[in-house]
Amino acid sequence: MSGVNLDGIVKAYGALQVVHGIDLNVAEKEFVVLVGPSGCGKSTTLRMVAGLEEITDGDLTIDGRRMNRVAPKDRDVAMVFQNYALYPHLNVADNMAFGLRIRKMPKAEIKTTIDDVAEILGLTPYLDRRPADLSGGQRQRVAMGRAIVRHPKVFLFDEPLSNLDAKLRTQMRAEIKRLHNRLGVTSIYVTHDQVEAMTLADRIVVMNDGRIEQVGTPMELFNNPANTFVAGFLGSPPMNQMKGVITDGGARIGDAEIKIDGQTADHVGRDVIVGIRPEHVTLGADETTSTLPINLDLVEPLGSEALLHARHGDDNLVFKADTNGDINHLSGVDAVHVPSHLVKVFDAETGRALSMGA
Amino acid sequence: MQRWNLYSGGDKVFAIVVSVLIGMFTVATLYPFIYIAAVSFSSGFAAQAGKVVLTPIDATLEAYGYIIKDPKFWMSYRNTFIYTIGGTLMSLLFIIPAAYALSRPQLKGRRFFNLFIAFTMWFNAGLIPFFLNMRDLNLLDSMFGIILAFAVNAFNIILLRNFFEAIPQSFEEAARMDGANDFQVLWKVFVPLSKPAIATITLFCIVSRWNGFFWAMVLLQSEDKIPLQVFLRHTIAQLSDDDEFAIVQTDAAFSAETVTAAIIVCSIIPVLIVYPFIQKYFEKGILLGGVKE
Amino acid sequence: MSDRNSDVGGIPIEEVVVEASEAVRKDKQTRTPDSTWVRTFDHFRREWQIYAMLLPTIIWFLVFLYKPMYGLQIAFKDYSIFRGAAGSPWIGFEHFETLFNNDQFIRAVKNTITISFYNLLFGFPAPIILALMFNEVLHATYKRTAQTIVYLPHFISSVIIAGIVITAFSPTVGVINTIMGWFGLDPIYFLTQPEWFRPIFVGTGIWQEAGFGSIVFLAAIAGVNPSLYESAVVDGANRWQMMWKITIPSILPTILIMLIIRIGNVMEVSFELVILLYQPATYETADVVNTWVYRQGLQSGQYDLAAAAGLFNAVVAFTLVMTANTLSRRFSRTSLW
Repeated sequence: MSGVNLDGIVKAYGALQVVHGIDLNVAEKEFVVLVGPSGCGKSTTLRMVAGLEEITDGDLTIDGRRMNRVAPKDRDVAMVFQNYALYPHLNVADNMAFGLRIRKMPKAEIKTTIDDVAEILGLTPYLDRRPADLSGGQRQRVAMGRAIVRHPKVFLFDEPLSNLDAKLRTQMRAEIKRLHNRLGVTSIYVTHDQVEAMTLADRIVVMNDGRIEQVGTPMELFNNPANTFVAGFLGSPPMNQMKGVITDGGARIGDAEIKIDGQTADHVGRDVIVGIRPEHVTLGADETTSTLPINLDLVEPLGSEALLHARHGDDNLVFKADTNGDINHLSGVDAVHVPSHLVKVFDAETGRALSMGA
Repeated sequence: MQRWNLYSGGDKVFAIVVSVLIGMFTVATLYPFIYIAAVSFSSGFAAQAGKVVLTPIDATLEAYGYIIKDPKFWMSYRNTFIYTIGGTLMSLLFIIPAAYALSRPQLKGRRFFNLFIAFTMWFNAGLIPFFLNMRDLNLLDSMFGIILAFAVNAFNIILLRNFFEAIPQSFEEAARMDGANDFQVLWKVFVPLSKPAIATITLFCIVSRWNGFFWAMVLLQSEDKIPLQVFLRHTIAQLSDDDEFAIVQTDAAFSAETVTAAIIVCSIIPVLIVYPFIQKYFEKGILLGGVKE
Repeated sequence: MSDRNSDVGGIPIEEVVVEASEAVRKDKQTRTPDSTWVRTFDHFRREWQIYAMLLPTIIWFLVFLYKPMYGLQIAFKDYSIFRGAAGSPWIGFEHFETLFNNDQFIRAVKNTITISFYNLLFGFPAPIILALMFNEVLHATYKRTAQTIVYLPHFISSVIIAGIVITAFSPTVGVINTIMGWFGLDPIYFLTQPEWFRPIFVGTGIWQEAGFGSIVFLAAIAGVNPSLYESAVVDGANRWQMMWKITIPSILPTILIMLIIRIGNVMEVSFELVILLYQPATYETADVVNTWVYRQGLQSGQYDLAAAAGLFNAVVAFTLVMTANTLSRRFSRTSLW
């Protein structure tokens, strides 16, 4: 099997286990993003793939070969670091050539490789410059260039955009995506930024506390979060989560009754968390929606949309509404309407998604 | 200087007084050097009569003429260069790889090795066992012995180790992923990244070798092996112990005093030449080796 | 596609979502982790280079610093060159008894402590005062030049320092006596007068080290948050008040640490300079433990007795340094090393 395969990967420092058995298949040419809060073990997992951390237990295979005991340089992987790790004493060309020289590639070949990659990344005019004389975006490109020149089987990215400002980050994100489409190299990308994860990934791996919470395409995860953690992690602002109890045909949240699609009859009386995405509510009612009365606190205009900060009972909620160029009409909102097919239900105790068996 | 315009009258007076005091201390620091240079360029007679205070009296180069004709002076000068260059290279050869190894988190027994090295800063066996050990090793009166036995010290290793530890881990990791082994990581990444620290250590080594005296005096017997400092000491000892030498020279254009002063000047000049290069680094350097979390 | 779905246990997400890591724990028990031995072997196979880099230095330390510590046993032996350290017979603490009944040794211990005390009293505040003064000098070039000059003596060898001192203080040729002559004072042969040795020695030390010592304090001053001064200016404080109310309190931890280091090094009088400056006439005030050891051991060949004195010195020094480090830890929560 090609690609990268993690089978029960465990990382422990002495008695402290930080990664508790990760199973993951990254298919050839796939772009997989590991996302999660800081300390969730995503970087550690990536570094185990790179060979920078020893694997405590489990098997790592790349292209079908077991890699646990293979030195990083022999794994045929390349990594882009958060701080780029560009050698300040070398110019751009020498930075990119560093690995090739160590691998004793012939000089002429190094030159053509560097020139090609510099062309792809738009670095040709900067080849003689030192990293200190480059902008953040250019450094980022050099860091990628250094990985690309080696033609590795796998690219590893460790939060490569987190040192850039917001605008540049959006730009570089698109560039990474384009580059991946062009080169088609298997990639594993670590970030704490869910937007990056959503936009870049073929598949997202949501991690928390050293475990995988859920794996799937961005839209699978967005539409069907496996648990309250994933629901709260992906999406901006995150999914509203309210305590409720299942009734026949829906759920009761405080004084409101929300309709849910599917068979709820078997679960009546069960304590649940009801999840409603901010962008899924409407201000006007129709036959598929149920009404959730709210006390509006604050309207934050974002331009075409506005965020409505509101309360229902003890729950602080956020909803998105269209402004149509004006927010005055939003100040009087006292209820939102929830389409029944978009309501998510999670077990109150385990936080796991409940399917109401359509 | 922009601050000056914002100062009150009292602050201005304070700043001026402090600047004057600093100036006085600076002059006081400099004066002995000027004095010794003045003696070296004075006639033996003027020096003996105690006439030299600030400028050369009966200016002459006789003292310098005397020492450059002394083969022992040149021999010791040459030896000092050998000790300084050989010793410094030897030091770097030990210190750089050791500091790198000690800075690597993957080194097993790192705590032990660090303690093993640092312990020698707090406790050393003293003059006698060190001397007897040198004798047992057959390194008495040996130039190589001097170069080797003072090659390493804990302070320099710790200084460089601290610097290496402050280099972001990702530099090593990136180089490793690029296929570099430890020697390549050290030589191609860490050494270029640590130029200030390595320069500091190099200069500390150079200065301590150039100035090294006590052990050279104790360990070396042959006249053709002694460094400049020991030669200078012999000359000074003659000056203070052996009055006859002084009397014999009284009427000459040079005296023991002017010759001593001339040797002092000759041995300070190389220090003055490297000093500007040292200065760039040592201010940061000594802080690096100092207090550590 | 089937590959991808297997990550969540092969069950389509739409139906029942399962916590991923639970579903794959099924074959966990069947895998045996690598043994410690395999791991250790693997570690050295991969990382042997750093051990190779460290090895020469470790051997050097063993040969040149630790082997002499083993040689210290002669302090408890009736050492003879022919039998060697290991072959000489044990005599217990006899040498130490001799030492403590030896007036010259006792005098050397007292001198060591006295000279250190004067060094501390006059030599310790000097660099602090110098640093505080440098901080008040506004003219950048003037300050830079002055610093360059006052750091310089640190790099001058003790032989040269001693040469300068001997020349300058000489009764006939020396500038000091010449200047005293202008005021009608009789010449003094300073270096033969026991009462003059300590002032000259301590003064030379200040001249040589005060400038260089100020670097640490200047760095501490540079670390003071500038907004403290700015708010003091707004509050109407003058420079003198700022020095006492802001600068000194801010660098107090550094001052304390340096003081503790100095106390820890009480036994470390720079004996090289003592050897170069003293003479039998001034032994009375100048002879310190290490110079005594040098004369007894290296000049008179009483290796065992001298080694015992050296050991005494080293043990006292070690105790002081350890105490100092413990204290500094308590004061600053950072140790000195």
